Amino acid sequence: MSIPQQGGAVAQAAAPPAPPEALLVVRGLVKHYGPVRAVEDVSFSCQAGEVHALVGENGAGKSTVAKMLAGAVSPTAGSIGFGGVELGSGSIRDSRQAGVTCAFQELALVPEWTVAENLSLPDGAPLRGFSQKKATRAARALLDRLELEHIDPSVPVYSLSLADRQLVEIARAIAADPQLLILDEASSALAPPGVEWLFRRIRELTARGTAVVYVSHRLSELAEIADRGTVLRDGKVAGEFRRGAWTDDQLISLMAGREASRHFPESPPTPAADAPPVLEVKNLVSPGIDGVDLTVRPGEILGVGGLQGHGQAELLRALYGAAPAVADHWHLGGHRIKRLTPVRAVRLGAGYVPEDRKREGLALQMSVGENLLSPWLKAFGLGGRPLLGSQSSWISGVLRSLSVRTRGPLERAGALSGGNQQKLVFGRWTDRDRRLVLLHDPTRGIDVRAKQELYDAIVRLSGLGVAVIWFSTEVEELVHVCHRVVVLYRGKIADELEGERLTADAVVGAAVGVKGRR
Amino acid sequence: MTASSVTPGLLGRRLWNAPSFLRLRREGAVAPVSAFLVFFVVYVIINPELLTRFQLQTASNLVVPLALAALGQLIIVLVGGIDISIGAIMSFSNVVFATAMVSLPVPLALLAGIGAGLICGLFNGALVAYGKLPAIAVTLASAFIIGSISREVMDRPGGGITPEFYLATSGELLPYVPVALFWLAIVAVLLWLLLQRTALGRHIYGVGSSADSVRAAGLNARGAQLAAFALSGVIVALGGIMLAGSTITGDPRSGDPYLLSSIAAVALAGASFTGGRGSIIGTILAACTLGLVGNLLFFAGINSYWQYVIAALIVISVVGLPVLWRRIYQAVRGVRA
Amino acid sequence: MTAVRADPAAAPARSGFSGALGRVPRSVWPLAVFVLLFLVGGLIRPNLLSVDSLVGTATFAMILAIASFGQTVAVIQAGIDLSVPNTIAFAALGFLTWTAAFGPVLGFVGGILAGVIVGLANGVIVAKLGLTPIVTTIAMNGLLFGVVLLTFRNSELTVIPQFLTDITATKIDLFGVKIAAVLPLGLILMVVLQLVLSFTGWGRSLFVVGSAPHTATLAGLPVDRIRMAGYALSGALAAFAGIVIVGFYAQASATMGASYLLGSVAAVVVGGASIFGGRGSMVGTFGGALVLGQVATLVNVANLGSNIQQLIYGVIVLIVIALYGRRTAE
Repeated sequence: MSIPQQGGAVAQAAAPPAPPEALLVVRGLVKHYGPVRAVEDVSFSCQAGEVHALVGENGAGKSTVAKMLAGAVSPTAGSIGFGGVELGSGSIRDSRQAGVTCAFQELALVPEWTVAENLSLPDGAPLRGFSQKKATRAARALLDRLELEHIDPSVPVYSLSLADRQLVEIARAIAADPQLLILDEASSALAPPGVEWLFRRIRELTARGTAVVYVSHRLSELAEIADRGTVLRDGKVAGEFRRGAWTDDQLISLMAGREASRHFPESPPTPAADAPPVLEVKNLVSPGIDGVDLTVRPGEILGVGGLQGHGQAELLRALYGAAPAVADHWHLGGHRIKRLTPVRAVRLGAGYVPEDRKREGLALQMSVGENLLSPWLKAFGLGGRPLLGSQSSWISGVLRSLSVRTRGPLERAGALSGGNQQKLVFGRWTDRDRRLVLLHDPTRGIDVRAKQELYDAIVRLSGLGVAVIWFSTEVEELVHVCHRVVVLYRGKIADELEGERLTADAVVGAAVGVKGRR
Repeated sequence: MTASSVTPGLLGRRLWNAPSFLRLRREGAVAPVSAFLVFFVVYVIINPELLTRFQLQTASNLVVPLALAALGQLIIVLVGGIDISIGAIMSFSNVVFATAMVSLPVPLALLAGIGAGLICGLFNGALVAYGKLPAIAVTLASAFIIGSISREVMDRPGGGITPEFYLATSGELLPYVPVALFWLAIVAVLLWLLLQRTALGRHIYGVGSSADSVRAAGLNARGAQLAAFALSGVIVALGGIMLAGSTITGDPRSGDPYLLSSIAAVALAGASFTGGRGSIIGTILAACTLGLVGNLLFFAGINSYWQYVIAALIVISVVGLPVLWRRIYQAVRGVRA
Repeated sequence: MTAVRADPAAAPARSGFSGALGRVPRSVWPLAVFVLLFLVGGLIRPNLLSVDSLVGTATFAMILAIASFGQTVAVIQAGIDLSVPNTIAFAALGFLTWTAAFGPVLGFVGGILAGVIVGLANGVIVAKLGLTPIVTTIAMNGLLFGVVLLTFRNSELTVIPQFLTDITATKIDLFGVKIAAVLPLGLILMVVLQLVLSFTGWGRSLFVVGSAPHTATLAGLPVDRIRMAGYALSGALAAFAGIVIVGFYAQASATMGASYLLGSVAAVVVGGASIFGGRGSMVGTFGGALVLGQVATLVNVANLGSNIQQLIYGVIVLIVIALYGRRTAE
């Protein structure tokens, strides 16, 4: 690994008390969550006026590092030196006062507060007066200065779109005039113009000598903005890079480890096109979904792609009956649907793996076995131990086929690691006569091995004739495992990609609203 | 539901979107305020005598302690909690004040009574904010503890409340205006200033909306929570003192009925029990509505036992109807975004 | 994180003492504390260490436990039932009135049915209208108070039917020990309810709904119906408690349930249930009631007065939630 050096494209600003070396020096950072080693011995440094990227796959630990820098999480071990001061107390306030601000990935805006309140309240003592009018005026000035004229500072944040919320979050971090700005996946909800806006702001800041830690896994953005970077993999430093001296392939192989591209299972054979569709829906309308047509056949894996917040989650929920939806024509498993509820969807042969496994997928206090069985509880049937007993062969079959690492069906689901929890949520739908399984980004935030095992399981499932609708934020997954991919843009299908046309570039292009790029 | 259906056209819409009205809407207080207006009109039609000095005073004396208890409950609800000990705190400050009045000058007795509420609030708040314990369980425990302490302080109604104090809190001190309403107005305005015009007040709202976000903004979320409990304790104590004034006694069980009715009033005010949303004016008017149901029935010549039934129906329908309305609206209009 | 295991028998034992403690079911703890308090009582006053004293405390505790079983169901599904007090009063007074008019069987059925209807109304409002359980049940409690005052003139309700006395207050001779019939009655009820909670599909889905409502919805469970059934059962049990209380104490009034408002919640919490739902048991609730009952006995013996008893109740609840009531971030 190369030793961090002076350099980069941006000249060093003559900051008054010129630090002898790097502004930010991170040494031996470690973070454990119980048995989970999220971050293991991470070291890097960052000069004033420099953009330092933290790169890695989902779950590589980059967000945890960013949170430790921002003070949201206190490190288990290691040191964070910032301009001679030691940070890492786990206090956001201390970090803010030292000149470190962060735009968080999970938005840290208070939904019931207005934009103005969110922008102004973090500063100052709690007992000082507060005027809605003055705050709104100040916020207006700030937003204008940052070229965010379209955001109304007097509306509550919950009424903004996801992208606008992210812009406000970034604006708040910039407004504090930080010496170190941390952007934790700050562009995840932004459309290209928004990303351009962000880069302009970053250049302004670095010109003033502010250091920026830019957390992302979008390589195209890195090429444009990052002066240097650190690649994380499984919580450890996998490599470092400097502006201009890297290629996408090198970085991807650093991020993924072992070989240049990750291993995906063989795509299952394309199902017969004449089989009667499992799901057929025309002009589906739901909050966030504006007229979607879909047809899925047995054994088909249909990918759903797009940037965050363009209706993918809403589409899955609508198809499962978890969100109110209507359609001109809607058939599921041969039954005509007017209105769907999850109860009916399950009865008709659908299954759903939700986004948030801890809150929506599992009952963490309950046992592994009972979590697997939760959709199959009958009010007047058996439950608890007797049901576990009578279903033990199914349970052990599911646990074995998915390689769930658990001490057994009686272990508390909350004690499992993220990947194994995700397998439980998935596993409850296997071998249960499902016709359609809807997956909401099931591989997010789980380790590589668990991912691999999930891919295999999904392919196996489709091989049995189950239709799969798979929303993924990882383009590679869509391209390599799915038969067909629909890309959503603003609640509509922007493009449908299949065969030759199904490439990563095409998916990304459609996601940002550029049809048929390249 | 909309003002525009009352006043056709532009004027209504402009009123509907006026800033102060916007806040009422945002805080969920339109329904309770309208409910109160309807209730008040009905009341005055049935019993125009309400507007006479004597009746207005009696009604205010009845309503003001409830309104203060409800405001105290509101503050806890704003930070996402609920206070089961509110009746006990009210009784406690009531008896501490009444006992102190026997031997101490009025200002000191007032301080003692308010201090009693403050200590209770700090006790609850410290356990909830820094002990990370659920508010409902903590306040359940402190309801037992504080209740028993207040019965230790004074085991039967009594104390040294003077007629002068009655005059100052609940009597005819001011021309025409019932003095209890005057004190309530002062507390309400001060509370409004604190919640709307200081950073701390906005923190209290923010903590209830999303404590994690408040923390991520580098703010002291726990401190805001503790402050809310302390503030609530003080306001509930004022309610206990007003109650002592209007009944001219201290009573270790005087606060008990206010537990359920304060929660009902806050619910009627449209506050969100997950926190972050709730209106002061809405709470006061909701308390007035619930507190006066019995009186109204009396004047209407209906068995006053109906008040319990009617108050419950008011709460359930005012809180539930908007939900029902939204459902029907959605069913009729479809789900277009 | 090594081998794939799906066999509970092959599971390696969690090492160490804390692991062993962790596997003790929660419902055992209150029972253990009760035994401890019982022994402590024996140290203070040796005559407390007798079967009679045990039976006395257990009988008192059983009444509280019966009144708290419904509350347990409500708390498990992440709700709360603050309409318990007036459901008790309503069912008790209704039972007496209807027994006088239609005979004991119809009176009993009517009383329980009243509880079911009250609970069902709570459930419909909570599940379908989405009102907070606290608010809903408080409103229901107030409404019932009005109904009780309007419907029943309690002066003439003093005739307790014989069969009710037989199953509650009558002393049964069991191996030379005289115990009130309510004790075996309550124990049978407890066992039946515990079996329903532990071993039926509805019972387990109640736990899923309580610990993770979104999970339950997205797993395709009929959450609304499970909830409504839970509240209906809670109401029925409160009504049953009302009838039992009438039988045991041979009196009924509009305010007879008042002490069970906080008392039932306290018994459930001390019994190890999580106030956030998803955790709780009938056995635990009985254990919680036993602890509270033993405290009452001790306070009585030491002549400290009911104030101190309440104070100790509060402290016990605090200790219990401090031990396992934390808002754990999982």
